[in-house]
Amino acid sequence: MADSGATAPKPSSSVKLVLLGEAAVGKSSLVMRFVNNDFQENKEPTIGAAFLTQKCNLPTRTIKFEIWDTAGQERFASLAPMYYRNAQAALVVYDITKPTSLTKAQHWVAELQRQASPGIVIALVGNKADLASDDSPVTNDESDADAAGTTEGDEEVAESEENENANARKVPTKTAKGYADEESLLFFETSAKTGQNVAEVFTAIANAIPETSLKGPRGVGGNTNLGGSRPEDTSRVNLTGGQDPAGAKEGCAC
Amino acid sequence: MFSFQSLVQKAQQFIEPTLSVASPSSDRRPTKASLFRHQFRLPDSQNPLQEITAELTLSPHHSTRGSGDSPEKERERPQGIHYVGKLHLSEQYLCFSTQASSFLNSASLSTSSAFTGQTHGAGPGGNGFTLPLCAIRRVERLHSQSYMFALAITTWHGFDNKSKSGEIGGPQKLTVQLAGSRQQCERFCDGLKKGLREGVKGTDNLRSVVNDCYSEYLIATDIENKDAGPGEQRDPPDTGLGTVFRYPGNARKLRDATKIRLWREYLKENGRNATLIRQPTFHKLIRVGLPNRLRSEIWELTSGSFFLRLQNPKLYTETLAKYSGQQSLAIDEIEKDLNRSLPEYPGFQSEEGIGRLRRVLTAYSWTNEEVGYCQAMNIVVAALLIYMSESQAFYLLSVLCDRLLPGYYSTTMYGTLLDQRVFESLVEKTMPILWDHLVKSDVQLSVVSLPWFLSLYINSMPLIFAFRVLDVFFLEGPKVLFQIGLAILRINGEDLLDAADDGTFISVLKTYFARLDESAHPRSENPKLRAVTRFQELMVVAFKEFAGITQNTISEQRSKHKDAVLENIENFAKRTSIRNLGPESKKLSLNDLGFLYDRFYGVLYERQQRAEIIQQEADRKAKAGKAKATEIVTGIPGNDVEMGRVALGPSPTQMDYEGFREFLAGLARWAVTDSPTSTQLNGHDSQSHSYFGGSMRSRSIQMSPWGSGPEPAEHEFMNRLFRRWDTNMHSSLSLQDVVTGFAQVKGTKDIMSNIAYFFDLYDDDGDGKVDREGILRISEALLFLSRRGIDSPATSSPAMQDLHVTDGPSRNEQFLSSVSAFIRRCFEYADPDHPVNQAGNPVEPQEKREEKGEEKKDEELADPDAFSIGDDDDDEDLLDLKDSPAPSTPKLTSNPSAQASQTLSKSLSPSSRAEKHAANVALDPNNPLHITLPTFRMVILADEILEQFFESDFSNSFRLADAPAPSSASSSSNLNTFANPTGRGSTAKPAIPIPGSGGVVPPGKGLRGMLDNIVSDGMRVAAEVKRRMDEAQKELDREAARHGGVGGDEDDEDDQEAEKERRSIREGDRDLLEGMETEDVESGKASAPTISNAQASQTEKTRSPSPTRDREDVVEFER
Ligand SMILES: Nc1nc2c(ncn2[C@@H]2O[C@H](COP(=O)(O)OP(=O)(O)OP(=O)(O)O)[C@@H](O)[C@H]2O)c(=O)[nH]1
Ligand SMILES: [Mg+2]
Repeated sequence: MADSGATAPKPSSSVKLVLLGEAAVGKSSLVMRFVNNDFQENKEPTIGAAFLTQKCNLPTRTIKFEIWDTAGQERFASLAPMYYRNAQAALVVYDITKPTSLTKAQHWVAELQRQASPGIVIALVGNKADLASDDSPVTNDESDADAAGTTEGDEEVAESEENENANARKVPTKTAKGYADEESLLFFETSAKTGQNVAEVFTAIANAIPETSLKGPRGVGGNTNLGGSRPEDTSRVNLTGGQDPAGAKEGCAC
Repeated sequence: MFSFQSLVQKAQQFIEPTLSVASPSSDRRPTKASLFRHQFRLPDSQNPLQEITAELTLSPHHSTRGSGDSPEKERERPQGIHYVGKLHLSEQYLCFSTQASSFLNSASLSTSSAFTGQTHGAGPGGNGFTLPLCAIRRVERLHSQSYMFALAITTWHGFDNKSKSGEIGGPQKLTVQLAGSRQQCERFCDGLKKGLREGVKGTDNLRSVVNDCYSEYLIATDIENKDAGPGEQRDPPDTGLGTVFRYPGNARKLRDATKIRLWREYLKENGRNATLIRQPTFHKLIRVGLPNRLRSEIWELTSGSFFLRLQNPKLYTETLAKYSGQQSLAIDEIEKDLNRSLPEYPGFQSEEGIGRLRRVLTAYSWTNEEVGYCQAMNIVVAALLIYMSESQAFYLLSVLCDRLLPGYYSTTMYGTLLDQRVFESLVEKTMPILWDHLVKSDVQLSVVSLPWFLSLYINSMPLIFAFRVLDVFFLEGPKVLFQIGLAILRINGEDLLDAADDGTFISVLKTYFARLDESAHPRSENPKLRAVTRFQELMVVAFKEFAGITQNTISEQRSKHKDAVLENIENFAKRTSIRNLGPESKKLSLNDLGFLYDRFYGVLYERQQRAEIIQQEADRKAKAGKAKATEIVTGIPGNDVEMGRVALGPSPTQMDYEGFREFLAGLARWAVTDSPTSTQLNGHDSQSHSYFGGSMRSRSIQMSPWGSGPEPAEHEFMNRLFRRWDTNMHSSLSLQDVVTGFAQVKGTKDIMSNIAYFFDLYDDDGDGKVDREGILRISEALLFLSRRGIDSPATSSPAMQDLHVTDGPSRNEQFLSSVSAFIRRCFEYADPDHPVNQAGNPVEPQEKREEKGEEKKDEELADPDAFSIGDDDDDEDLLDLKDSPAPSTPKLTSNPSAQASQTLSKSLSPSSRAEKHAANVALDPNNPLHITLPTFRMVILADEILEQFFESDFSNSFRLADAPAPSSASSSSNLNTFANPTGRGSTAKPAIPIPGSGGVVPPGKGLRGMLDNIVSDGMRVAAEVKRRMDEAQKELDREAARHGGVGGDEDDEDDQEAEKERRSIREGDRDLLEGMETEDVESGKASAPTISNAQASQTEKTRSPSPTRDREDVVEFER
């Protein structure tokens, strides 16, 4: 299980990241995409929380994300403080087809700003972007949208679904982006299904973590990957391969 | 029977007052009745009625004596096996247990809870039986040598077997010998006889319920086979999806056939389902794992869900039918998860399995709407459905949610959080080194262990092992979850000590779970040892090493941590809720919002508590009949006792008008009634920042409809406020409504909008006009609001306090005259409804404004003597003369805008009185009139006292976070304050006769009449004031009488001055004793008292224990 690093020994540090957001917005799916580059239609709801890890290679350092994926059902909310405790980063996820989920996301942002560790890096993520046909997700790099549009595989499914329900988008990018700017949050629209922008979110977070708040990797065996039953394999998967030239450049070649 | 039952309950409460529902103390112990129910896993309807020491004798062919079965109590005798224990009788059950617990009222609590002691392999029920009376066919009294009373009991199954085949299994016959005085025995037998007669009614239920039990099929087919007759081919009962989709695990490896054989033998000899007798073998057979097809039945019996089902066998189908087609939030949530429950089991990839899961979850969500559906229930129920029929799973889910996993799935999941806390503390206790390591490496244990508890290890361990944990869990209760959890950590202790972060920690455990079937000692020489699997090792460690973890341990720990956990949840809920209140709420400080939140839910909670307690008596019967098992030995007080607590799940969120009054009474002095129906004063300070804080909870809730808080006043103004804030027109307010309401009242410092707000309150039809009646109502409201004195801005600056304190005495009186002037001016400047008819008296706002200069003279003219206590200037002089600490009135110094408008009004040119009186033609009731907002505003601004009232006094009259709520004690002192002027001559004049007309002038009385009218309106008001002051005076006298002893050591001079002085001192003493502010006392009770927080806290520090200081101050003042 030891992954002493096939890459050059870059400084490595772990970052605790928590995912919050309404039930079924796709938190677990995002993590699954990021960690395993995989997507499942029937995903078990998260009970309490799930824990996974994934590395993110930046040019100058390696970030090991310790990801806490929480349960979204409203009544699990009171458990959340247990999970976001000491988190250095948070992904607050909403579903672009469900306006209520943005409201919930805003509540979470407020909660984090008030209760989580100061200086926590928060990214607001509008997931299920594949369901929108307006095709204008806000990204750091315009080419992402195109890239997503031209890939194969999952894409076919997305395409057909798009045709069925014309434009399922209910939350305009502008609304969410405006809010994110106001609160100085990172902002992305993603699709766990197509993989669009998923790596970017994590890369952006990795980059946004202030150098000073990084600690070294914890413990002797601190590099265990629980992301899947085959940590070796998954940790070598290039998540952004082919789909995402922008991400590949500086991104999480995990 | 029912009346008898409630009688018993009453008697119990009488004997155990601490357990009565009226004492919601947080460490409330379970009642003996509930302990009884818990021991025998009986429904809530059952109560221990009779109890007697007895010896159970099982006939010789009960040969279930395994080699190791030799507990002390079991003795071999020629006649068979004997158990000594206690025989209990409830309404519908006859129970026997070898565990020496007693539930008699005279028994101590420890003998009642004895069964929670170490289990030694026995379930909470011990050896014995739990016989539904309807399952008893016959009871014969035997003639016995050694005992006075010996009863031979023939059960349902004994009868059956006998009739079918004479010798196989034999008739199940139990002999019970009663050991007690003749009288005791007879009483017991009488009770039993009565119960048996009633029990006949249950036979039909019993028949249908028993038919779902696999044992019936097992024994019947066995008998048929032995008889070698073809027999009618029975269909086996539904034993879950496993029959179709296979049971998890390898049946051969699980030795399922052997287990079935052993059980068949056991059941043949010891009865089954309803008539089962628990002997040591029973517990052993469960420990080694139940055979697939018998799982449902044994789970039902050990958990007690069987008895629930017996009580109401149709509940499941009826619930489904009743709500068929209806939608709910829970159903939406269930639908989302149906495809995501044990997806690896083939049964849940089929419509059949999904359908069953949907129906059970849905039916349960309807029967328990408070819980509804919680993620994790899908996993648990899915697991149950592999072995059980839908209806069996439904009842078992009830027992799980209500009794075995209390609060786990509630909307706040307090049970889950609490048990995590308990688990952590047990780890700390039993494995201190590991615990230290966890703390040091910042690994949060509950993050790992929470899913273990929440889904009963089902998605943590491989299914076959999780089910073996469940086997024991249903038998022995919640402690099993803790024992297993502790054992997991103990076994992995070494590895866990190496793990320095969450990730490693989790992965150690994951690896462990994945290898539970491997040998625990793979390298051992001893083949027997090698054969021990890791799971077996886990069981041994859990139940041997952690045998000390009993139900009692868990209960104790739960009550120890309960408060902290609930408070955490409540803080979280509060934080979240306040944050989500919307933009309006930003006008209030965070402190104020927190305060409003506490008050709001505090009032709702207390009201619900009181309603609950009052209801409880009436409801008792109905409740007893309900087929719902409540938590019992949980350490969490009965749901009904703390129901409504935010942390415990769904709590009321809407406040009705009554609640609103109570709410206001805690915030504003004027909202407290002057004439409380109950004079009982509670010394407790109702102030508590966390509304569930200790003081609130420990305080006994009085049975008065208003609890222990001050009794609210009732006034039309409060109703108007309520309706105004009730934006949804639901006749109830949410926290949002209240906050928005306060944001409007308190959130703005703009006098104009405050005036407009008030005006709107009285503009019923929203046409911008307030009519004659409305004007009178406004003035009544003003008097109502000010009758306790008006508060100057409550600031923390001591200087300001002093200011207002000295300012007080005159201001109350000033306010009276201001209000009276207000009425007069309103009528004076009112617009006629039909200006055409009033052509002779054109009333233009402009003109009216010009008359303002005369306000002082008008006042003198209009005010009857009772009111004229000199104008403002005189008052100020008076104050100055008195050498009070702060010479000037705050309204002038602190309110530049007030000054400005005063100047404005002064600068207006005077006009002739005649013209003004002419305008008063409008007072004629034949000439309906109204005022408009500009008029109203002008009238208010014309009077600096009213102006200040709208500027700040009104909004300051609500005391939020920065001020404690007035207690009843303070209200009485306020009354004194107000009554104080009595001695000063001005208001002590004889009462003015109240004109019956109340401002209605007979037509044709002319100018003079109109003038009278103004006066009489003023008098109406005055009379009202007078009445209130009299009441206050009476109250004061009562108070004085009650506290007479306190001031008794004062000089006894006869002259009035001394008398008054003495009373003042007494008041001072009393206030001191009652924890009131010395500040008010020092001001000679004459001020409009303010109990701002600043003052209160200051008082806290400086409160002088001796009354002399107060006395000096008072005397000085009076001089
Ligand atoms: N079309 C589309 N569907 C998605 C996407 N991400 C997730 N889903 C679907 O949304 C559903 C919920 O996904 P989850 O990842 O389980 O959601 P979650 O937020 O983890 O839910 P909880 O664990 O219950 O809080 C699944 O059926 C996914 O297949 C996406 O990007 N596009
Ligand atoms: Mg999830």
